[in-house]
Amino acid sequence: MINRKFVNTTSISRLRALGLCQSATRASRWVAVAVAILLANHSVADTADTLVAAPAKTTTCYLDGLDEQFQCGKISVPENPKQPDGKQIDIHFAILPAIKNTHPDEALLAIAGGPGQSAIENAAGFDRMLTKVRQQRDILLIDQRGTGQSNILSCDDGDLNALNINEDDLDMLAITEECLAGIDADVTQYGSNIALKDFEAVREFLGYTKLHLYGISYGSRMAQLYMRHYPEALATVTLDGVVPMQQSVVAIGSSIERGLNVLWRDCKSNPECQQQFPDLVDEYNKVDQQLADAPISQKVRDPQTDEPSDFLLTRSKFTGAIRMAMYMPNLRALIPHAVNQAAQGNYQPILGIYSLTANSTGIAMGMHASVVCGEDIHRITEQMRKDAKESYISGSMLDGLEKTCEAWPTKQEDDSFSNPIDSDIPTLLLSGELDPATPPNWGALAQEKLTKSKHFIAPYATHGVAYQSCGNDLIAQLVDQGSLKEIDGQCLQKDVRRSFYLNANTVEALPIASTDTDIKTDTTAPANTAEDKE
Amino acid sequence: MKMILAMVRKELIDAARDKRSVMAGLYYAMGTPLIMCGLFMVLIGQLSSPEDLNINIKNANNAPDLVRYLSNNGINHADDEQANKITLTISDDYAANMAKAKPAEVLLVADNSDEKIQKSIRRLERQLQAYSAEMGSLRLIARGINPGITQPIKINVEDKATADSKGGMILGIAIFTMMYSVFISGMNLAIDTSAGERERNSLALLLSHPMSTRQLVLGKIIAVTCFALLGLILILLVSKVAYPFVPWQEIGFTVNISQDFMGLMFLVGIPVALMAATLQLYVSFMAKTFKEAQSYLTMVLFVPLALSMAASYNIAPEILQWLPVSGQQQALMDFIKGREIPMMQLIVSSVTTLIIAVALAAGLEKSLKSEKVVFGL
Repeated sequence: MINRKFVNTTSISRLRALGLCQSATRASRWVAVAVAILLANHSVADTADTLVAAPAKTTTCYLDGLDEQFQCGKISVPENPKQPDGKQIDIHFAILPAIKNTHPDEALLAIAGGPGQSAIENAAGFDRMLTKVRQQRDILLIDQRGTGQSNILSCDDGDLNALNINEDDLDMLAITEECLAGIDADVTQYGSNIALKDFEAVREFLGYTKLHLYGISYGSRMAQLYMRHYPEALATVTLDGVVPMQQSVVAIGSSIERGLNVLWRDCKSNPECQQQFPDLVDEYNKVDQQLADAPISQKVRDPQTDEPSDFLLTRSKFTGAIRMAMYMPNLRALIPHAVNQAAQGNYQPILGIYSLTANSTGIAMGMHASVVCGEDIHRITEQMRKDAKESYISGSMLDGLEKTCEAWPTKQEDDSFSNPIDSDIPTLLLSGELDPATPPNWGALAQEKLTKSKHFIAPYATHGVAYQSCGNDLIAQLVDQGSLKEIDGQCLQKDVRRSFYLNANTVEALPIASTDTDIKTDTTAPANTAEDKE
Repeated sequence: MKMILAMVRKELIDAARDKRSVMAGLYYAMGTPLIMCGLFMVLIGQLSSPEDLNINIKNANNAPDLVRYLSNNGINHADDEQANKITLTISDDYAANMAKAKPAEVLLVADNSDEKIQKSIRRLERQLQAYSAEMGSLRLIARGINPGITQPIKINVEDKATADSKGGMILGIAIFTMMYSVFISGMNLAIDTSAGERERNSLALLLSHPMSTRQLVLGKIIAVTCFALLGLILILLVSKVAYPFVPWQEIGFTVNISQDFMGLMFLVGIPVALMAATLQLYVSFMAKTFKEAQSYLTMVLFVPLALSMAASYNIAPEILQWLPVSGQQQALMDFIKGREIPMMQLIVSSVTTLIIAVALAAGLEKSLKSEKVVFGL
């Protein structure tokens, strides 16, 4: 699912932009999760801190959303590896101990996305998704430097998500500089390659001889770097929502467009959706154009507090809300209705989606900028820039990022960083057909030189296949068997698609139009069949 | 001292000669863990919900999205005997009511007293509720309301249970069987060496040797205690090997018989074994015949075993912590759950155990001076 973090669309979309983020939650439960996550506080970690004095490597701790006892710990590493005696930072980690530890010298390292999400804060999602792996092996979560408890580089973006803000008025340069001023760290030291050394140091500290990797979204880049630099420490690798090394994450614009087109296609091929929303694409374009001309201002009730508020619906908020909704299969199902309503002047569904997706603080924007500015932005070519400007979403995103990176001190990775990974470690690649961030062809790109690998495309999954399908069973199988031989991915074909919302209430076929006056549907055409072919 | 050792040797040789009856006690020590493990393996399979749960879904066409949601969570439609134990019927007006935001009804039919499917029923209910909650949230979003507001309280739970303590119930039973083996293993020997010896008329002969009654009593006690401890060691070793074979992880915990636990169990078992031996000898001597001794012992042994049994449940009253057998049992359970061992209680109950043993031994010594007892008159 997604994203807990939705990176937001507003201004921040520029800053936070990428939104490759994943959330650790399972779509199906997103209610519980989204709520829990969106409101999550970080109480978790503090427990561990206070206890760490003992010489033991780890101490007992509790993690957000889970009631069990876990083991937490930290190691100190130099912020700048070239100055081993310089400033030290703490890298925190948490172990979800195996239920029955049959392989005490192995663990599965789960790497969070973002860039900028905390793996430890997402422990509940990882735990649920990796239940089977945890039966026999420890699950290791590390807060990558700059995220979570590991010297987080965060920016205060509190009021950037206000309902009445106009993102076009934001000065990204000033915001970035202000953020930078509030950070006490050498931000050039927070790229992926340096962070990888921390991961390896934690592995050695804990004495695991082999790791199985699971990398979601941006985490798949970390996993690939692990394969490049420390292949001897790895047993198997799973890349989910794959970002190939050859790909700049900034080039996500076309993925978003693709995601939208897949959505239009799905609605069109579904009789109920097609009947209910026959002009969906036109309606979307109409709203988009309308907002491009001028934002719409409305008096609304605040979605959360119910205070009377001004809601300034800008193009950025609209496209951003739709984009974030595409991450979650269940929220994605509401998009046609939301677009249809917006075209008729009812912006409540968009407001609801915006409210859910905007106010999340899951991504450490400073760390996000360190990664993107050092590893991705310089890989954007003129042609890509031109293509990006074709669409509003990718254009504004690129724009915001470029301004951010202008102010952000960076150490650019050289060209070899973009080489595909050449490895014979058994590697499982998972892509979601509906993914609005990392489309299946990115997975194929990453697979190029992986000699022992299989790439599966889950037809009904978005971003984070293992959370939404039997992908997690495939991971358990891979970890257990240590090879891909017997994995066929057949189970991913099971039809688990979510039906589209046909009005504000239902996903099931609407009854034949009756004399009921209280239906007040938003429907433009009555459905004339109760049969669902889907 | 020498005399006592000679006595012990004599008893053990005697015991070794009558392999059948004496081994019967030790079979218990070896067999129980194996039988328990076999039982648990079957039970775990029965009690946990299968990964792919098949139920009978009627009118599935009325709610295709719900059916696919369930299927994504491993709950599928099937039409065999097993699946028919749980049926889910989707009402005819499901879609119509849903469209108007009226409650759309589904009917879940199952026998809640059937333990084999209880977990599956809970699971189905949970999934239905999750689906319902999800739709509820989406409806709020469609109306411009953040669904987070429907959860005013975020409940954070910190469970103090450790991986070991979660298996506490199982381990309580395991410890009970170990305590039991202390009593059972030496029982036959105790009867044989007392009532049996008398029946064979060799007791009087023995007493006519130049040795004190005390030496004789001590010799017998030590011999029986040795057997009881042998039984304990056997059951510990067999448990250590057998328990890990049960797939405990499927029900979310692990049962680990650690070496520390084995050591502690053995130490704690020594006073218990002494008491068991004296108690068994005492009762056997009081009985007139071998058979009578067997019946009495079975009844008398019920007391310590009831104590042990009671202590293996958490509902046990506080007082049990201070009594012999149950006190040790509770201390062992605390140890295995990773809690602090209640030293005071352990010491008190162990000392009480020893006092009882000494008192019984004294009584035994005294009674063996009576001809009534020696000749079973």
